[in-house]
This record gives sequence, structure tokens and C-alpha cells, in this order.
Amino acid sequence: MPRLTLAARIGLIMVIGLISVWIAGVALYFRTHGSDAEGVHPAPERLAALATLIETAPPEQRAQLLAAVNTDLFAARIEIGDAGGGGRVPAPLDARLRDAYATALSGHATIITTPPVPTGARFLAKLAANPRNALEFHIGLRTGQVLVVDTRNPVLVTPDGLPVGFGAGLFGTFVALAALVIMQRETRPLARLAAAVDRIDLSGDPIPLPEARRSAPEIKALGRAFNRLQERLAALIKARMAMLGGISHDVRTFATRLRLRVDQIPEGEERDRAVADIADMIRLLDDALLASRAGAGELGQELVELDEILRSDVSDRQAHGAPVSLAVTPEAEGASLLGDRLALRRIVANLIDNALKYGHRAEAALGIEAASLVLTIDDDGPGIPPGQREILLEPFIRLETSRNRRTGGAGLGLAVVRNLVEAQGGTVTITEAPIGGARMLVRLPLFRVG
Amino acid sequence: MSAATILIVEDDPDIRRLVGDLLGREGFAVEPAEDAAAMDAALARTRPDLIILDLMLPGEDGLSICRRLRAQDAIPILMLSAKSDEIDRVVGLEMGADDYLVKPFGPRELLARVRAVLRRGQAPASRTANRRFVFDIFVIDLDARQLTGPSVAITLTSAEFDLLACFVQRPRRVLSRDQILDWIHGRSAEPFDRTVDMLISRLRKKLETASPGSGLITTVRNGGYLFTPHVKPVS
Repeated sequence: MPRLTLAARIGLIMVIGLISVWIAGVALYFRTHGSDAEGVHPAPERLAALATLIETAPPEQRAQLLAAVNTDLFAARIEIGDAGGGGRVPAPLDARLRDAYATALSGHATIITTPPVPTGARFLAKLAANPRNALEFHIGLRTGQVLVVDTRNPVLVTPDGLPVGFGAGLFGTFVALAALVIMQRETRPLARLAAAVDRIDLSGDPIPLPEARRSAPEIKALGRAFNRLQERLAALIKARMAMLGGISHDVRTFATRLRLRVDQIPEGEERDRAVADIADMIRLLDDALLASRAGAGELGQELVELDEILRSDVSDRQAHGAPVSLAVTPEAEGASLLGDRLALRRIVANLIDNALKYGHRAEAALGIEAASLVLTIDDDGPGIPPGQREILLEPFIRLETSRNRRTGGAGLGLAVVRNLVEAQGGTVTITEAPIGGARMLVRLPLFRVG
Repeated sequence: MSAATILIVEDDPDIRRLVGDLLGREGFAVEPAEDAAAMDAALARTRPDLIILDLMLPGEDGLSICRRLRAQDAIPILMLSAKSDEIDRVVGLEMGADDYLVKPFGPRELLARVRAVLRRGQAPASRTANRRFVFDIFVIDLDARQLTGPSVAITLTSAEFDLLACFVQRPRRVLSRDQILDWIHGRSAEPFDRTVDMLISRLRKKLETASPGSGLITTVRNGGYLFTPHVKPVS
């Protein structure tokens, strides 16, 4: 039952429970009054009156009399012979009932038997011969004949006085109820497993799934397998982060030596280029490291004021004469978001780098819309055609493949931006800038106390 | 000032030599050391005006050395790190380094930082004498262990004060229960998850009573806590 919701299950349990209670109630009713009331046990007075009537009626009217009283369940006929003869065995009846019949029919030789059962009969036929289902009254008449009355119960009942099938029905409902409850219990660990898989947080230590002690072995095995998988995944990520950290450390050490040695090159264009190359190399390394940290959910979480980061980046660039402007709306002043400071710096730096690379100037603006901080970075370059906007946010894609490394970079910039923005719950879109080029639009969730 | 002595603690021999040569050319006296033991030996011989300390060292690492030096005296420290993401935490409140440089750095950058730190270091060291901060409407003095509201002192239990001190020194950053436990109980923290929660709710109540509606301590998803106000040192 894969799609039964909890409510449906509770409903089903209730319905099945009610049915079982109801069946039990009917069974109780049948046992106490059902079959004893009439049917198979006709009132003794009725039999006595019938016997007397037949005795006193003229012989030619007896057939009509019998026709008048006979029904499907009460068939009387007149036979010739002796009531006690034929080796008939009295049916096992309640003492009270037998006494009542004996008293009422005291003037007649009476024997109460069960109807003969055909040999080799099946269960139902045998059951039909049960004294609760059928009786045969042999009442000796003064005329020397025997009044034979066959009575039958309209519903077949068992020796307990319950209709046939009752027990099976009740048993079935109980089994269904138990099955539902057991299934519920058995599937609970699976639901827990699904929740644990969703919750998996690769940045922290793995939280082992609690052992479901009373579950089936397969489910226990699944839980243990999940725990092992989680540990392996965590170990893998830890190893990867450690490796990246190690690479980063060593590359930075080499770069430091190189940077210090470069100063021994005589001042000039070559030296400036070497310095720029080292800076580019380190930026690439930082991008890759940050992006992989974001992918592993390892970004920090602190309150960061985005306007402050923008201001420091823009004023640094302005100090070097770059044509960058910044406009912050009053409500975005000092607005905080919960994120990673370094990642946010990288987002801002990459977007402005990009704008300056493809245009002549960059215009940054920060505002607030509903619950988001909205950062736009516009350039006056050629812009990006709508069909290529989405693909540009993928790694290693650049619009102008012919560009040399100085202007192009490895094509990681925007992919890293997207990676970092999304890891912090935001979105990046590319549209057109009012000043002619492309507009990068970043939305990040605003932090509000409460 | 040109005769200032600079102790370089750096495990990479090339960088040690290159930085040493550079500083030597600029007229500084240079003491090289490759690890904590060599640094201690050098400190026993001379008293440098500045220590350039690498964050990652074999044996005792730069963080631990920095903490140890800070506890002893006020020699200015310039941290070098290859990890740009951790450097923010090294400087200032947590470790007490005076400044930092992320590797790779250029010679001019290094000289500028060295000179700036030396200039500041010549002023009487004020950082160790004073650990008072303002946030929201409160003033907290970590040494006198006092929290003052706008008019009156606020009574905190010792545990509550430790917790608040932990927050004040790491404002606006999401702290997990484990981190908080680590800091307020030291390394041998037993897992008192609930204790931290209860302590925080008591502290929150006291701060809220003194400054209604300020929401200074916020709970964020994944069970972290965040101290939201800006914290500024006061003299």
C-alpha cells in the first residue's frame, strides 16, 4: 500500500476495528436469542395443538390441515407406524427444552431426532443435521399414525449458535487489523531512512540512523548500509577538502616564493605581467576551492552586510582608477544576510571583474525587494543574447572563445558566482542593462531578526 | 625605528630567507626561526619588536603560539597565512594578532604592514588592559565580568556570563551548540546539549527584560545560535 497516507491508514484501522466490533456484537446477539426464539424449535404448545387438531379432524380434512400449517421451515406430514420405532436416536437437546416438549406433548409418544444424514456428506450437510439447524419430531397420534414434523433453521448455524462464516469473518477482520498495524510498524524505519537521507548534511559529522531493533533483518541491513554509505561519503568529502586544502596551501607557498623572487626581475612590463599571473593563478585556485566548499555545504554562516562588501570592493577599484559606480538604496544600508563573507566578496569581485572585462564601465546597485537583497551589476558592453544566458552560468563556458587568457580567464567566474549564490539560498539571472550591456541580477535572502 | 628587530617564524626555508633578505635590505635586524622551539630560543636571546608568524607550522601551530605569546606580553604579531578563509578569525578578538597577510604577498605589501604594525606597537599597548565592549544598549567588561545596562548592572550567573562573553567575542556568526560548549567548557566538554539550550533561554530572557524587542540572540536552522548586534570595543 504505497500511497496510503497516515490519515487513510488511521481511517482504515478505525473502519476495520468497527467492523470487527460490529460482527462480535451480532454474534453475541445470535448466541443469546437468535436461533432459540423460533425456527428450529417450534413452540411445544403449537405442536400439541397440531397433534390434537389432526386427531380430531375428519380424516379427509387432514391433508388440507397440513397444507394450511406447512411452511418451508416447518413441514408436517403423517406417516403410518410407530413414533418410537425405527431405532431413532433422540437428539441432544437442552434439558429445559426437552421438558417443555415432554410436558406439552404428554399425551403422545414423542421422539425428537435429527434428520438422517446421507453417508459421506460434506461439512455443510453435516452441519445442517445439527440440532440447531434441523429437528424431526415424531409424535404418536391416537389414530395410530405418526405426525412427523421437520423443522429447519433459516440460517445455517454452527453448534455455538452462530451463523456459518461468522468466525471466519471475525478472524479475517482481526487479521487485517493486525496486518495494518504491523505494516505500519515495519514501514516506519523506511520513512525514517528517507528522512535521514534528506537531512544528510555533508559538512558535519554523519548522524547515524538509530538501529531499528524490532524491525525485519532486511530493514536493519538497509539502515546499516545507509550508515556505512554516509560514513564513506563523509570520509570522501573530508579527504577531498583536506586534499584541496593541502594543494591550496602548497600552491600558495610556491606562489609566495615566486612572488618574492619576481621582485628581483628589473622593474618593467615583464615584472608586472608576472605579478598579475601569480594573482590570476591564486584567484583561480580560490575560486575552485570556494566552489568545492560550497558544493560540500561547508560555507560559513555569519551576518554580513552586503553594502559594506560592495563599498570596499568598489572603493578599492576606484582608487586604482577603474570606472565603477555604486548606488545603495537607503533601506539596503546596513541590511544583513546570513552567509559566508569570503564567498560574498568573491561573488561581488567576479561580477565586477566580468563587467569591466566585457564593458567599459560597471554600475553596481543594491536594493531590497520583499525578503531579498537585490544586487545588480550592469555593464555597457555588447550584452548577452537571451539564448546564451543560461549556458553562460555553467563552468568553462565563455561567449567569445577567441579571447585570450588575459581577458577571458578560464570561464569559471560566473559558474563560481552561481555556485556560491545558490549555496547561500539565492539566484543569479542575466538580463539587459539599461546602459546597453548585460545585467547580472543576484537575489539573496535578507536576514531579519525574529 | 630602522634598527627594529623582527623575528620571522616560518617553516619554509625559501620564504624565510626571502623575507629575511627583504627586511634586511630595508634596514631591519632579522632573527629567523623555523618552528616554535627555535622561536622560544630566539625569544630567550633577544626581545624582538615584531614577530612575523606563519599560521601553519610543524609541531605547535601559529594559532597556539599566538595565543601563548598574547598571554605573556605585548610583542606585536603579524600573521602569515596560506588560508584566506581562516584569517579573519585569527586577527582581533579571538587570537589577538595585530595584523595579517595572506600568501602570496608582494614585498611592498609586507613592508607596509610591518611598518604599520611597528608604528602602532610603539604606542602603549592598550589591548591587553582593556576588554570592554558595547552592544545594543549594554556595556560588557570581560575582565571585571560585568554587564551594564543603560542605568543599572545586570546580574548574570557565572555560566551565563561565560556564554555571553563567548557571543560577544564572536558576534554575528552562527555558532553551533558544540562550538559554544567547546568555548565555555574548554576542550573536555561533556555533551550537555540541553544545558546550552537552557542557559541560552535564561540569558535571552534577562537581555530581553533589559532591552525589550531587541532579539539579540536568534536561533537559526540546524540548531545554531546567532548573536545579532554589532559589538564595538570601548576604551
